[in-house]
Amino acid sequence: MLKVQEIREIIKLIDQSNIDEFSYESDGAKVKMKKHQGQVVTTPVQQGQPVQAEQPEPQSAPAAPAREQQVKETPEPKEEQQGSLDYDKEITSPMVGTYYASPSPDQEAYVKQGDQVKEESVVCIVEAMKLFNEIEAEVSGEIVEILVEDGELVEYGQPLFRVKSK
Amino acid sequence: MESTRKQLIDLLENEQGHISGQQLSEALNISRTAVWKHMNELKKDGYEIEAVRRKGYKIVSYPDKISGNTLQWGLDTAWIGQQLYHYDQVESTQDIVHQMAKQGKPHGTVVIADEQVKGKGRMAREWHSPQGKGIWMSILLRPPLPPVQAPQITLLTATVLAEMVAAESTLDPQIKWPNDILVNHKKVSGILTEMQAEQDRIQYIVLGIGMNVNQDAVDLPPAIAHKASSLKEESGMEWNIQRTIQSILRTFETTYDQFIDKGFEQVKAKWEHYGYRIGERVTISTMRDTWEATLIGIESDGALRAKRDYGKVEKLYSAEIHWGEGGYDA
Repeated sequence: MLKVQEIREIIKLIDQSNIDEFSYESDGAKVKMKKHQGQVVTTPVQQGQPVQAEQPEPQSAPAAPAREQQVKETPEPKEEQQGSLDYDKEITSPMVGTYYASPSPDQEAYVKQGDQVKEESVVCIVEAMKLFNEIEAEVSGEIVEILVEDGELVEYGQPLFRVKSK
Repeated sequence: MESTRKQLIDLLENEQGHISGQQLSEALNISRTAVWKHMNELKKDGYEIEAVRRKGYKIVSYPDKISGNTLQWGLDTAWIGQQLYHYDQVESTQDIVHQMAKQGKPHGTVVIADEQVKGKGRMAREWHSPQGKGIWMSILLRPPLPPVQAPQITLLTATVLAEMVAAESTLDPQIKWPNDILVNHKKVSGILTEMQAEQDRIQYIVLGIGMNVNQDAVDLPPAIAHKASSLKEESGMEWNIQRTIQSILRTFETTYDQFIDKGFEQVKAKWEHYGYRIGERVTISTMRDTWEATLIGIESDGALRAKRDYGKVEKLYSAEIHWGEGGYDA
């Protein structure tokens, strides 16, 4: 089983080499890496224990918030903090606007930390120009962290929730 | 079927005097008996029709009570209101259209109510929607746009309402960003839009329009009397609600089609033409900050452009604006 440190070493080596594609298999764990336009991409594939594969340290500038999908599959971008939250999906805002946790100020929030959500569960509202966008989870799982506060202005693509998917 | 009825109304409307049953049956290519049956149907829907021997028929008065039928007959649109539902009383037309959207009803479906008992305002603030005095309707839209463009539709709707008011009266309507319609600094109409969307695709939009039309001052809740009004109060005349709805829907369809076809430029120009306090100073509050600025227009994405005193232009998507005297706070 490769350690994160080792994967990082491999990434560095491959990054500096002319190798375009690299795969490694051991004890049922597979690591595959592919270069796209000079970037190194790691694709952890099914395995017994979860390996939190690290993305290469952003030598290339981090891409703008994913445009194409609401739920990004984002492995932790940094070293995990101790007691870290275990999540694998983020729900992001599809537009600039004000984040509202509940349908109206006197009602309860759509979701709170620890809630289970389904794909079609409404998790919040983002309002811009009196257009109220009910954001659906689009993933089934547990809300492990809420990243914004009621009434906060959110940006396009900004992560709103972290979800541990089922 | 629906078109025969509509053609019949058109014929009656376009004739100055009476039009004979014979003429009608020839023009519509139906029997005299069928003409007579249609006449009875029209009467049921509130048309008052005068029948004079040897001369024929004439519409003396139009129904003031609206119904799905009477609304649709005079509509003449390609897609909006092709499915149109009218109710005497509902909790909220928005909720009904949400349901319909989920059941797969088409783009352009319209729900209208004489009265809403739980009309929705911003953040579920109640919108007072009493019986037969105003327009309370929701339109289902399925625009081929990414969600970031959706707010443009609410601004577009505001221009449609302002244009209608300007065309049908001598009033001078204004649009308070993003989409309240003001007449003499008082709100006569509001728009509330709800959207279901994925990151890159709008599933549907429920566009809600509330318009105070024939309320008298006493019909408006005292708490909002200083900042809300009705078209009748401001214009001094009674409005035909049915024709007003039809006019809104027709103009909406044309404007929407142009927007989908050619983009936001034209809408933006119209919006700025009607824009309230554009060129004037206001106070703006966001979560962190309160500042003064001069409003200078809107962005191509509908955001409000406000210039700070030191020259920086801010784009506002969501903010509380203190409109100062006359206009009330958003």
